[in-house]
Amino acid sequence: MSTGQGGKRRIEIYRYDPVEGGDGHFDHFDLQIEDETNTTILDVLLRLQKEQDSSLAFRYACRVNMCGSCGMVINGREGLACKTNVSDFSKNLTITIRPLNHFPVVKDLVVDMGPFFKSFENTLPFFEPKEIKEEPEIIRPDSRERQAIGLATECIACGCCVSSCTMANYHEDYAGPAPLNRAFTLLMDSRDSLFDPRMEKVLESCYNCRTEFNCTEVCPKDISCTRAIKYIQRLAVKEPFKAVPATNTVVSTASVPQPAVDHIHEQERVSSGIITSPAVAKATEQEDMGRRKFLTKLTFGIGAASTLAVGGVLASAFIGPTDKKPSLWVPAGKLENFPVGKISTVNLRYEEKTAFYRQQIVKPILIWRQPNENKIVVYNTACTHLGCTVHWDETQHLFLCACHGGAFDIEGIVKAGPPPRPLDQLAFRMDSGNLLIEMA
Amino acid sequence: MEENSTTNYRKPLQWGEFDPNRRKNMFVGMWAWMWQRISAIAIVFLLALHVTLTYKPWLQFLLLLAVTFHATLGLRVILLDFNLVNVKYQRALIWGLTGLGLVVMALIWRSIY
Repeated sequence: MSTGQGGKRRIEIYRYDPVEGGDGHFDHFDLQIEDETNTTILDVLLRLQKEQDSSLAFRYACRVNMCGSCGMVINGREGLACKTNVSDFSKNLTITIRPLNHFPVVKDLVVDMGPFFKSFENTLPFFEPKEIKEEPEIIRPDSRERQAIGLATECIACGCCVSSCTMANYHEDYAGPAPLNRAFTLLMDSRDSLFDPRMEKVLESCYNCRTEFNCTEVCPKDISCTRAIKYIQRLAVKEPFKAVPATNTVVSTASVPQPAVDHIHEQERVSSGIITSPAVAKATEQEDMGRRKFLTKLTFGIGAASTLAVGGVLASAFIGPTDKKPSLWVPAGKLENFPVGKISTVNLRYEEKTAFYRQQIVKPILIWRQPNENKIVVYNTACTHLGCTVHWDETQHLFLCACHGGAFDIEGIVKAGPPPRPLDQLAFRMDSGNLLIEMA
Repeated sequence: MEENSTTNYRKPLQWGEFDPNRRKNMFVGMWAWMWQRISAIAIVFLLALHVTLTYKPWLQFLLLLAVTFHATLGLRVILLDFNLVNVKYQRALIWGLTGLGLVVMALIWRSIY
């Protein structure tokens, strides 16, 4: 039901002529569109090709979002041309159409998908049964495995995800979201026998994923390749701990009599290096077993050692310091040296012993020799907020802490800032004219 | 005709090349990825300054801000990596965790100052 919402639209299309070469440029077209809600970008391209420029090149096949041929970048976002409506873009906005990223451009909007399918092949995107059976081997639709795979099997290999992935930009050997998604569906399939060779190929590149989710946002089939890649990474972590030995493909298929067709395929596979001869396979299986056992023991060993270490430290912290260290009396100087009625700063030097560790400490303390009763107060310079060193400011008549603005008066009471309690005082005693300060 | 052989393909277009609307239409997941990297560099730089300049409240604030950003976006990546949260919530996680992080940061700032 056309509501007559239409008008003239400006369309910019990227053009590249293989005969001319160069970098390519944008061509501008104007198109009168009757009903924007009913017109897809593919319709626009077909009309432009028919009415205005018959040299425009683009791919399409089914026109109904099923084949994945018409993948391109429309206004900065990847998508299928047959699935994107003109009305998706706000009125009077110029529509910019350009080919997919990361594939060589053949002409205009047509890209060479060869590299895309090559990276597909690299992840062994085919199914090899573990055993030849006569009945179909069923995976129930409500099984964990099938639900984990979910919609990932719906991939139409349109290339939008690889085009939108910024990691494909920077890593030449990155397999790409779609091939890894395909590998994921097969790795999760418990009937498949190529888990190990496929995993090996996939692990070479699956760590290039940086969890950006561009692929998930642009997929016309709403598949999340990021989820698939994260699944693969988690499978890889669990790999060394599997108790069951690696499935030995050659032993199982060699012992079963095979029809002639399969034999030919096996020859191809043997020559391509996917499946090795029985003797070597047996040997590598033993190695795999040894490697698995070693890795498992190593991990549990390190885990146990660290648990013991941390547990031991925590336990000793709970028990607490059982022996009391004798307090250290540090000389601060002769009493005459401290002027009456003033605050003096003294740097105490002493050696602190903690278990096996000895340390030379230089610690400033503040001594206030009161004028009236000839009493002494020794303050610890550590601010009671977070431990910064306080200093005495004569003009303001306050102890000031530079870190967060704490201030104490001459009696150590908090006058300003964040400190929660008054300045700490240290115990002292007089010994024939010498002032001795107790340091813990 | 050898003119139109495969050797005359144009080299692949890169992300953002010849693409006037790309940066305007970036998905929020990609912003999160970029801010994670930017805040990482900011932390390294601010940390170096933080160690040398003792009392500059604006510096501490910027450092705390960078750490909060990096931590919340990093937590999001961890949650998604280990499938603790379904990937369909990845966009919600960006806003949710960043909001939570800013609230915690405000609390920390108030309690120190």
